[in-house]
Amino acid sequence: MTSFFALAWIYLRIGVMFVGGGYVLIPLLNHIMVEQNHWLTRREFLDGLALSQLTPGPLAMLATFTGYRAGGFTGGLVATVCIFLPCVVLMLVISRNYHRLKNIEVINNTLDGLLPAVVGLVAAAAWNLGSSSLAGTQEFVALALGCALFTWTRVSPMIVIVGAGVVGVLMN
Amino acid sequence: MDTDGKQVRLTEILLTFLKIGLTGFGGGMAIVALTERVCVREKGWIASGEFLHGLAFGQILGPFSLNVCIFIGHRLRGIRGGLTAAVGFIAPSFLLVSLLSWFYFTYHKLPLLQAALKGTNPVIISLIVVVAVDMGRKQITNVSSGLMALTAFAVSAFIKLNAAWILLGAAAWSLGAGIYRRRHGR
Repeated sequence: MTSFFALAWIYLRIGVMFVGGGYVLIPLLNHIMVEQNHWLTRREFLDGLALSQLTPGPLAMLATFTGYRAGGFTGGLVATVCIFLPCVVLMLVISRNYHRLKNIEVINNTLDGLLPAVVGLVAAAAWNLGSSSLAGTQEFVALALGCALFTWTRVSPMIVIVGAGVVGVLMN
Repeated sequence: MDTDGKQVRLTEILLTFLKIGLTGFGGGMAIVALTERVCVREKGWIASGEFLHGLAFGQILGPFSLNVCIFIGHRLRGIRGGLTAAVGFIAPSFLLVSLLSWFYFTYHKLPLLQAALKGTNPVIISLIVVVAVDMGRKQITNVSSGLMALTAFAVSAFIKLNAAWILLGAAAWSLGAGIYRRRHGR
């Protein structure tokens, strides 16, 4: 029982540091899981990292993997809840005050003014994903096909993504 | 899909974000793109501008794909809506990673996910591109907003600066420009 409290405490602390950008998460988890507590070997940690990126959901799903290792299914559940808790609470606080903030003219204008930067960041995400994973003609054909589908038809993106996954499995 | 004047039911919020969590392969921005298509375009739950505000807050706070879901859930049904969206969104990933973790620690290898991902990756990128173009059409209206978008893109794609810093920089710029315009009467 005590170990679950220890686990909860560790992931809550990581969750607090997670606020402000998920980029600190990987070195931090590596330090705590591999070097400090020896719950995982470095090899297992790297496999877990790959696994978390393969699956839907945020990279923080690494917490589920490492938590599972440390304490089975319950460990994974405790880790997942605790790592997201601080962000969820903070985001709820912001959401709750959003309309009040929006009514302050300076804040509203500043927010509207930075939206082009958000668009730039969305585009950059496509660039980063593409430059690390687009290789053959096949992939570029799929990319063009996807663009055409999403621009000119109203087909649900979820169906297209699942379909593409099935095609990927069949072709490999 | 018309939600005017009617409260969206919590079960609908839950089901919608369960589906998003289940199909949002590719992490972060792939999920944001998917959420934009479903919640802004298909269901009309939130206006495009507000969605982007939520995304900006979300990126400053960390796990932005989750934060955007919470923001939309809260917009629809308050705190309970936000929590429902968060749970719905995380549950599929959690169950899948638990299953894969069990598999991995039992057999010490990963199942065929890699192959599935080969198929989904290009499509996910195309979805993000289409959403970015859509957002750009609405937000980039003059030279200065175009320059800001381009700068943010370049700094993120090539210098790989943390998104939170880029947004704080853009906020400072936007605030400064606003003050300048007011002092000099536009």
